[in-house]
Amino acid sequence: MVSVRLEKVTKKFGKVVAVNNVDLEIEEGEFMALLGPSGSGKSTLLYLIAGIYKPTSGKIFFDDRDVTNLPPRERNVGLVFQNYALYPHMKVFDNIAFPLKIKKVPKEEIRRKVFEVAKLLRIEHLLDRYPGQLSGGQQQRVAIARALVKEPQVLLLDEPLSNLDALLRVSVRSELKRLQKNLGITAIYVTHDQAEAMALADRIAIINEGVIQQVDLPEVVYNRPKNMFVGGFIGNPPMNFVEAGVEYNETVKLIVGEDSVWLPQEYIEILRKLKLQKVVLGFRPEDVLVLKDERQVEPGSSVIRGEIFTVEPMGREVLLTVMIGETMVKVYAPPTQYYSMGDKVFLQINPAKLRLFDPDTTIALEYLVKT
Amino acid sequence: MMQLWDVEVKSRKIEIVLILAVFLASLPLILNYGLLILSSFSTEMVTNLDPTSFRPTIDNWILLFEGRLSVTGGVREDVVRYTINTAIVALGVAGVVVLVSVMAGYAMSRMNFKGRSLIMQMILLLHAFPGVALIIAVYLIFRATLPSDIELARIYSFAYVIVARAALEIPMSIWLIKGFFDRVPWEVEWAAIIDGASRLRVWREVMLPMVKPGIAAIAIFAFLAGWEDLIYVRTFLFDRTLATYIESNINVEFAYMPLLAAAGTLYLLPTILFFILTQRLLLETSTGGIKG
Ligand SMILES: Nc1ncnc2c1ncn2[C@@H]1O[C@H](COP(=O)(O)OP(=O)(O)OP(=O)(O)O)[C@@H](O)[C@H]1O
Ligand SMILES: [Mg+2]
Repeated sequence: MVSVRLEKVTKKFGKVVAVNNVDLEIEEGEFMALLGPSGSGKSTLLYLIAGIYKPTSGKIFFDDRDVTNLPPRERNVGLVFQNYALYPHMKVFDNIAFPLKIKKVPKEEIRRKVFEVAKLLRIEHLLDRYPGQLSGGQQQRVAIARALVKEPQVLLLDEPLSNLDALLRVSVRSELKRLQKNLGITAIYVTHDQAEAMALADRIAIINEGVIQQVDLPEVVYNRPKNMFVGGFIGNPPMNFVEAGVEYNETVKLIVGEDSVWLPQEYIEILRKLKLQKVVLGFRPEDVLVLKDERQVEPGSSVIRGEIFTVEPMGREVLLTVMIGETMVKVYAPPTQYYSMGDKVFLQINPAKLRLFDPDTTIALEYLVKT
Repeated sequence: MMQLWDVEVKSRKIEIVLILAVFLASLPLILNYGLLILSSFSTEMVTNLDPTSFRPTIDNWILLFEGRLSVTGGVREDVVRYTINTAIVALGVAGVVVLVSVMAGYAMSRMNFKGRSLIMQMILLLHAFPGVALIIAVYLIFRATLPSDIELARIYSFAYVIVARAALEIPMSIWLIKGFFDRVPWEVEWAAIIDGASRLRVWREVMLPMVKPGIAAIAIFAFLAGWEDLIYVRTFLFDRTLATYIESNINVEFAYMPLLAAAGTLYLLPTILFFILTQRLLLETSTGGIKG
């Protein structure tokens, strides 16, 4: 199998820069999730790797082979399109068999392979139908089967499971992952669903407006987002952001409204270096302890005062929207307490989990000092 | 629920009114054709709307294929031959039109080259040109290129009328088939390219089957245009077709009218047949939609 490497790849459509100066390396056999909002250039990036589009500038390598100017059929990639793109005039069997037929694989072998992959995706009973007679989820599985059957070196999947129901989705995606690992295919998986990305991917790449924001292990992307966009995009609900002043004395602490927030040693050192007067404090909804009574606050820990705006019971926990001054934040609280609108609450943020960002560049402070 | 019921009733009423209106509007046409067909099975023309004049017979059809022009007269006309000639011209026109339009329409839809929209506009302009306006120039070329050998010239006149008549149909056909190609999603074509197919193979095995209804439509339109054509056939073709046969006999004194009605019915037959057989297809063409 091959590794895929993009070097300073840019793709413009007239004035629109769909993919902007992207450097990205997907290792041999790796499962990379590509995550980003609508219109961020995810599909365009896949089409560039598949060879449907030629980059406006930059180069694409499979291992050390420069494939930038190679036509799609010489790249041996499988692509599952966002809208399936099945051949409507062919039966499901012939749809899946098409790539093999073109490769002039013997008939018996085609049959065997088609049945094998159809069974895997649980569509063997649909082989005699036309795509128009299938549901969206069934069409999607046919599209995956067609991409898999030719045993590609690189498998590109453009939101391949978006039309499956929740149950099928979980089973097909673990099947997909197992298959990918067994065959050792290098895979890039576009999705809107970050839970899916976290569950499936070896690494996650986050893209916004054609620019790669961060490429890292799922837990790193989640716990140490490189910038406010990544923090605000990953997680459900995403990371909260609160503006804060910085006070430099014998120690360094944040000022939010009338409250002070103590910082872990790591951030104290970074702030002393950067000497910022203002930062953005970021924290995830689950990294907060919600206290209803000031007396519950342990001495020496820091809390931020707020007022409950809405209460949404979620079963295992309660999602609270809390106003801190003018800023709205979302936090999870245990359902053992009773919360109602207008209640005063004290938010105790886990100091090990809080993140600080530069308000000007939106970059996380620890990444600022590294570079 | 009530509302739904209400809406359904309303739409059914509107439908009935619409059907009635369409029927009334087409009544003169239906009546004319009906009378023509009826006359071809009668000893007298029934066009005077007098039902007592209708006496059923199939003699007219027998006479027609025997090549007789009147019941008594000795003039012989080879109507079978004319029918074959008509079919040759019609099929030829359909073939040429389909071949050229399918290739040109694909190029217009899928390939990005300089002056594409200009060409599309020119094509539309060409379509607006009446065929008669061009006929002098087309005739001059015909005269200049006509072989001197008479047998060769006969064959050449067939080829010439086919190509010339097809040229008149091609502009509209390109537009029509381009619309069909436009509706095929790019992704389907890309999928085939990624699957390893060459551009030609994608065109043949993926694109063409997906525009089949469009191909059928332009083929039928072209066939009927060739079948019905009078001016080009009369100007260029050495042989006769059904159209020229009827046209040249319509005001011959001894012509037996019910027999000509039979000839006219024969001449109409493909049109009627095609419209009955392909009603659904044509409807699909006009509302435009390839179902997945
Ligand atoms: N063929 C094209 N011509 C012009 N602009 C294009 C073309 N394809 C994409 N774009 C533009 O490039 C940008 C990126 O599009 P792309 O389809 O890659 O987004 P995406 O991340 O896949 O979005 P989605 O999640 O909605 O599928 C968009 O602004 C889009 O409008
Ligand atoms: Mg997309």
